[in-house]
This record gives sequence, structure tokens and C-alpha cells, in this order.
Amino acid sequence: MASSLLHPPAHLSPAVALQLSQQAPYLLRTTPSAISPYSMSSLWSAAESPELWTTYENLMLSCLRTGDEQSAHLCLERLTERFGADNERLMALRGLFQEAIANDNDALKKVLKEYENILVEDPANMPVSKRRIALLISMDRTTEAITALNNFLDASPTDAEAWSELSDLYVSSGMFPQAIFALEEVLLVTPNAWNIHARLGEVLYMASSSETGSVQHLAESMRRFCRSIELCDDYLRGYYGLKMTTTKLLTTLSQSQVSRQSKSDTGLPLPGVKSVERLSELATAKLSEIVRRNTGGDAGWQGYEKPEIIAAQELLNRDAAPITR
Amino acid sequence: MAQVPVQTIHRDPQLFYWILIPITVVMILTGVLRHYATVLMATAPKKQELPAIKEQRSLLRGVNLRANANVISAPSFQARKDYLVAAYESGAFLKEPDKKGQAAPNPMTDPAAMEGMMGMMKGNMAMIVPQTLIMGWINAFFSGFVIIRLPFPLTIKFKSMLQAGVATKDMDPQWMSSISWYVLCIFGLQSVFNYLLGSDNAASQMQQQMGQMGPGAGAQMFGPGVDPDKQFQAEIENLNVLAHHYTLEGVEDRLLQTVVV
Repeated sequence: MASSLLHPPAHLSPAVALQLSQQAPYLLRTTPSAISPYSMSSLWSAAESPELWTTYENLMLSCLRTGDEQSAHLCLERLTERFGADNERLMALRGLFQEAIANDNDALKKVLKEYENILVEDPANMPVSKRRIALLISMDRTTEAITALNNFLDASPTDAEAWSELSDLYVSSGMFPQAIFALEEVLLVTPNAWNIHARLGEVLYMASSSETGSVQHLAESMRRFCRSIELCDDYLRGYYGLKMTTTKLLTTLSQSQVSRQSKSDTGLPLPGVKSVERLSELATAKLSEIVRRNTGGDAGWQGYEKPEIIAAQELLNRDAAPITR
Repeated sequence: MAQVPVQTIHRDPQLFYWILIPITVVMILTGVLRHYATVLMATAPKKQELPAIKEQRSLLRGVNLRANANVISAPSFQARKDYLVAAYESGAFLKEPDKKGQAAPNPMTDPAAMEGMMGMMKGNMAMIVPQTLIMGWINAFFSGFVIIRLPFPLTIKFKSMLQAGVATKDMDPQWMSSISWYVLCIFGLQSVFNYLLGSDNAASQMQQQMGQMGPGAGAQMFGPGVDPDKQFQAEIENLNVLAHHYTLEGVEDRLLQTVVV
């Protein structure tokens, strides 16, 4: 129980978050409210641990997610008591709390104004500038958010979180080359993140479907999915993407006899039709194996998300339909 | 073979209560006091300005590009390399672009570096002052006492360690003088402090001395007295000589070979 409180709560399922926030009143009653670093009692009571404050922070986020604003406020107050109101991280948390209790657009604008005031005073306040960008995104002001993110990344170009957020924004505005660039920056920071490889494959696939897309993008996308599978065995998203790209690549390659000699912009030649066919078969076989074993209840194959399995099943059915008809 | 008779020295049992225990108690209390003095004197780490952050992270970006160049395609790598090399050369990322080409400032006159040295000074003072005082106190009151007999035999080499301040040639090394007890306390109270103050306490003198011997290697990269422009120039060199091999080259064949359904 307490261990799930020590992880950032963004990845928790709604059920777990609800369970955590329902325990909040109990946890708040039992955990010490404040530990004074200079008291005599610190000689025999348990030492203050960083985990306590991580717990408070994550508990607050869970409570905000499930609408328990009272407990969230209590967490915030205790954190403020310990670290002071001018702590950067706390400024961002307080802003988050105000965003959560804001009930109309004007209130949100007021929070935004507050962020901007803080940033004028101290432009190096990273947590608050990230909060400001997040608020801009949630207020649907995408262009402003992109500008703010670009400024942020100019000062801090090694922030993978910000780069991937930027790529999402670019994808939502249909600017695929920029999105690809941003995702490549993420990969430069975390070279073995298979989910980022798969994400880059997806964006490349989208780029190849747009009007300026090319078969090179498609080939690169296929290779990205291959890489993500190479890094993570039985990666459903990777095989799904691999199947999509190979299917499309096969039709493209057979339709237009693209001159194989043309130097592609990735610097790699297009893959041969034969290996694409084999990859497509591999992806189909792997996907059906994953679906079969997952629905069959095999131990060790239950880690997949339900929607992902359904989507994979649907993709396989799409293939099988013409044969059965 | 004559049995060496066991040495016996008749000591006043009061020595035990009035020397051994006071020294131990004083040592523990000083450790606790030093811990809290260090906590009180510690200054919060200085906040970095935005240009300084930019300077460091831009350099890190170059390092990242060099280390992980293989995950991106050759044209993407070339574009990033050209951009970074041009920017490094022009000094666009420098904290103070107009100071490019000047010699690094003397770290002694740099106020930011002075801050760090003050911190070190404070740590030193908190260690040296009590040590001197207690050593003087013990020398003045307790020097020359033999206070305890260790319950196990020791070789002659331990004599200089255990019998400091008692210049007796024939005494068995098992006997211990008060100054030696003090020295033993310095080395041996670490676990007591761990129990009382938590594991990252500042009470132990030993720990402080260790800390001074090996300063963190990470601080060295952006420490005072390092010219960022020089680092940028070195990074240009590194990027220029890098050979790029795209990881995705032949990945489909690798995959077909390794994965069996």
C-alpha cells in the first residue's frame, strides 16, 4: 500500500488512485504532521525520511485526481509548513491545487497570471514554468504552449519530458517533421526507451500518411518498430505497428516500382520486399500468439492492457475477413 | 620456560568513574553538538540563474548527442552536429557571450567559488575547534593516567597507540592511557552517532576528513575555475571525430534472425 504511494501517481489506474485517496484521512491522522529538526525528541523518535514527504506529495496528487480537496489541502499545508512557501516545487504544487479547485475559465486565467508573475521574478523556476505550459495546454492554447515549450527547451535542452510533450503538441497540430525532431531528441537522452522508439514509429507512420509523406518515412517507421521489439520482447504495440507498416509498405512497394537506388533521406536503402513479407508474417504470428495466450489465461502473458488486446484481435480479424467471406 | 607473570597495577576505581565515563560522555555530546552546529551553519545551495543552467545543459546536450548518436539517422545527426558545432563555436550558449576568449577568472576572486570555500571552511572550523579544546582539556586534567586494561592480549606494536602520554617501557600493551581512550572514541563513536542522529549525520570527525579527501567528481565538471568555452571547444572536437553508425541499419534482419514464433 505505502509502496504505491512512493511512486509518481501519474501511472496509477483510476481504481488504485481512488483507493489511495480513500485512505488519505487515515494516513493523515497517523503520519506525523511536522518534524522539527532541532527538537530534543528527535533524539529518540524515528528520523525524518524523504519518503514521508514523497508520500505527502503523491497522496495530494491522488486526492486531487479523485476530488478529495480537503485532504489535498491538508497535505499541501503540511508540506508548506516543512519546506516554506517559497520552495520551487511547492509553488508548482500550490498552483496545481489552485488549478484543480478552479471552476471556471476566469479562475484558471488568474492562476496563469500568478505563474507569469512568479516567472518574471525568477525565470529559472523550472517546476512553475512546466506548470504554466501544462495549464496552457489544458486551456487549449496550443500555439502559446508550443512557444513556451520552445523557450523552455532553449534553456534546458536535456529535458526529455518537455521534448516528448512538445512532440505531442506538434502531432496534434499536424506538424510531423517537427514532432519527429522532438522525439529524436528524447531518444538522444534515453536511447533504449522502447516505448519512445515505438512512438517515433507511430509518428513516422502518420507522417507517411500525410500528403507530404514518402515511402522512406514508412520504411523508417517499420525499422523503428523493429528496434522497439528488439529492445522489448513480445511488445504488443511494437508488433501492432510492425504489422500496420509492413502491410502498407507491401502495397506501396508493389504498386509503384520505387527506384530502389534512389538515395533516401534516412541514408538507408528501402528494405527488400522479401524481408518485409517475412516481417509481416512474423508480426501476424506474434500478435495471434499474444492474443491467444492472453485470452487463454497463460501465466506470464497477463501483463497486457485489455484494450490493446482487443485492438490486436480486431487487426487480426481485419486480415482474416476476406478469406472467410 | 618461565611464565611471564601477569602484570597487575592497582588502580583507584574512582579513575574509572571520573575519567573514562566523563571522556566518553563529553565526546558523544560534542558529536551531537557538532551535528547541530553544522546543520545550523549550512547555507542553502545557491540557486542557479537561467543562463548558467542553459550553459550546462547545452554542453550536456552535446555529450548526449555524442554518446547516443547511433539512435538517430545520419541526416538527423548531421543537422544536430552542424547546429551544435556552430553554436559552440560562436559561444551562443555561454553564460556571458562577450567574455568569450578571455582567460578563466581566478577562482579565488570569483564570488560564486568563495561561497563554496566558505562552506568548506565552516565544516573545518566545526571540526578543528572542538578537537583542539577537548585535546587541551584532556591533556590538562587527565594526562598520564592509566585507566583501563583491555580484556585481550595485544602485541608490542600497539604500545604507542594505546599508551600515548604514559612513557613506561615495561608496561603491558593491554593497559590504556586516557589520551588513547580519547583517540579511540574519535574513531569508534560512528555507530553511536548513527544510532542517535541518523545515518547522514555530521557528527563524526572521520567522515568529515574522508569527505575532504575525495570531493565529488561530478562537481568538477562545472566547478569554479573551469572555462566553459574550453569545454565547448573540446566538445566540438569530440563531435567532429565521431563516426556515426545508425542502429536501425539491418534491424529487420537482426529481428528475423532472433525472434522465433
